[in-house]
Amino acid sequence: MKTSKDIAIVGWAQTPMVRRTELTETQMLMRVITDALDPLGLTRADVDFTCLGSCDYITGQAFSFVSNLDAIGAWPPKRDSHVEMDGAWALYEAWLRLQEGDIEIALVTGSGRSSTGDPALIYPMEMDPFFLAPLGADPLTFAALQARAVIAAGIADERRMAETSIRARGKGTVDELLARDYVRAPLRRHDLPPITDGAAAMVLATGERARKLVKRPAYITGFDHRSECHNPGFRPLDDSPSTRIAAREAGLGDGPVEVAELQAAFTHEELLLRHVLGLGEDVRVNPSGGALRQNPIMATGLCRIGHAADHVFGGGRRALAHSTSGPCLQQNLICIVEGRR
Amino acid sequence: MTRFVENTITFPYRRSLGPVLGPFMTALTEKRILGVRDGDRVFVPPMEWDPATGEELARDFVEVGPAGTVESFTWVPEPSAQHPLDRPFAFAFIRLDGATTPLLHAVDAGAPDAMREGLRVAPRWRGARVGRIDDIVCFVPGTNPQVDGDDVGPAAEPVKMMDYVASTTYRNPVPIAADRAVAASREGRLLGHRCPSCGALYAGGRGYCVIDAIEIGPEHEEDLPLAGTITNFVVVTPVQYPGQTETEPFARVFVLLDGTDVVLGWQPTVAVAAADVRVGQRVAAVFADPDEEIEEAGVMGGHFGRLKGWRPSGEPDRNDPDLVNRIY
Repeated sequence: MKTSKDIAIVGWAQTPMVRRTELTETQMLMRVITDALDPLGLTRADVDFTCLGSCDYITGQAFSFVSNLDAIGAWPPKRDSHVEMDGAWALYEAWLRLQEGDIEIALVTGSGRSSTGDPALIYPMEMDPFFLAPLGADPLTFAALQARAVIAAGIADERRMAETSIRARGKGTVDELLARDYVRAPLRRHDLPPITDGAAAMVLATGERARKLVKRPAYITGFDHRSECHNPGFRPLDDSPSTRIAAREAGLGDGPVEVAELQAAFTHEELLLRHVLGLGEDVRVNPSGGALRQNPIMATGLCRIGHAADHVFGGGRRALAHSTSGPCLQQNLICIVEGRR
Repeated sequence: MTRFVENTITFPYRRSLGPVLGPFMTALTEKRILGVRDGDRVFVPPMEWDPATGEELARDFVEVGPAGTVESFTWVPEPSAQHPLDRPFAFAFIRLDGATTPLLHAVDAGAPDAMREGLRVAPRWRGARVGRIDDIVCFVPGTNPQVDGDDVGPAAEPVKMMDYVASTTYRNPVPIAADRAVAASREGRLLGHRCPSCGALYAGGRGYCVIDAIEIGPEHEEDLPLAGTITNFVVVTPVQYPGQTETEPFARVFVLLDGTDVVLGWQPTVAVAAADVRVGQRVAAVFADPDEEIEEAGVMGGHFGRLKGWRPSGEPDRNDPDLVNRIY
């Protein structure tokens, strides 16, 4: 979906990304929201709408987003919403809400403490409850099955997957990495995401307000997300049709992008997404290191959009950000940000 | 050094199966595997709707398998407690004979070398089957189905429901303010935090101001009064869901502490029948005796440690109609 109305990212912040934080999710949010608003000269009272992305299943607390609201500031009252999704989808809702035209500033967060539970045991319980959860079908298994399909299609191979990991993390050589054992063939440790605790907050503003707040707003010119069947067995795993449609609808084809920030938690996912999006060698993919370097669940996608916005803040013209949800890239979101002059 | 607490949460789900999954699960108890036909396609597991278009599919059941062919697989060298087998195995996409989609299941192949695309496999059935996908323990190489232990036969009635117990252990940091509130309760004190910005006073060891969204340090702690007035209450008649320990109707009250704006929500009562609880009633804090075992962890509304609840103090009721509006 494209928009005729000017809505821009004017700032964002992220917490330190760590293996295990000593902060509660609410405490992380309290700090990161302040960090996002302060440099803009805004306070919580200036925010017209908030949307938070988080997941009760990861937090281990029903209605955990209610305690997260304590980080928003209860007075003056604000319009509020929540998505049980990565903060990238919270951003999508805020972007839609701003198009109504009656408000100017929105605040979006994504937050998760992956270390609270064991992701290898929690995610299977979120799968299809009839056919997958009772088998303990885990994310590594699904990723490995998709990696096999992507390799069989010639889109990836183990060597290029290792190179992808080295580029993201700066660790090891291809030969060293390929000498190690499989965790789930064809995936080795270096193909897998780290477990990361962290949160991110982002500020959106409309038209003139955005231009008053910052010199070079990152305008959101296209934003779309699409989903596929929940059962990976019914999908073409060597393709990502939902990514392709979302990118088309967001206007990827309208011009070149200089940077693409892809939420690829596994090395083969980055190679598949590059292929599906048709990104050439001239596009810098995941200069931030991406989800392979830091993977704060529920904030990873919002961080991708933040890094794409940073490219524009720094003088760049056009960048793409991608977020995903569900096993084997089930649901995909594409956000295009642009600078002007 | 931040303290962490571990707790295990269990969700005992009971799900209805509906008109397509019900017959599939019932058939499993008969050691049969059903798919749903739509034109040239046969979906296994069966679907109520077309995965691509969302169109409702006719319930044209067709028996598939029981043998099938491995289309793709990955070896699991270290099984988790949730996996179907406690020894290394393969997860595989298995195309059952007659199906056009693959079913994910485990293959007990012994070693990774024994797995390959195109391998023929057949189910190993559980002897006692209840109508779940894990009535198939796993698949094994070959085309002959097996049964684990004594075969107790099919379900007597069509299977309509499925139980699934989700249980997981979480490890959470305890905010320092919460620990300090619990420690104060061991001395029979109720700890409050006053926001240095707006002056709002909080109980329960939250440690931050929800209006200003700032953290409140120990330098802003103060003791709260141990007497107050009930502003609102609810009498709960317990439903015996798993984990419910109450058996008789019980009250949860809101208490406005004397001389403050602090209302404690969802507080238990002590030494008063639920039927005798009323708005305006004067109450006093009751702390557990030092040798009494009590759950000190947080409850709904905050961390109150060894505060057991509130007993009538015997003072005359406060007659103030505005009290009933004071729930925060």
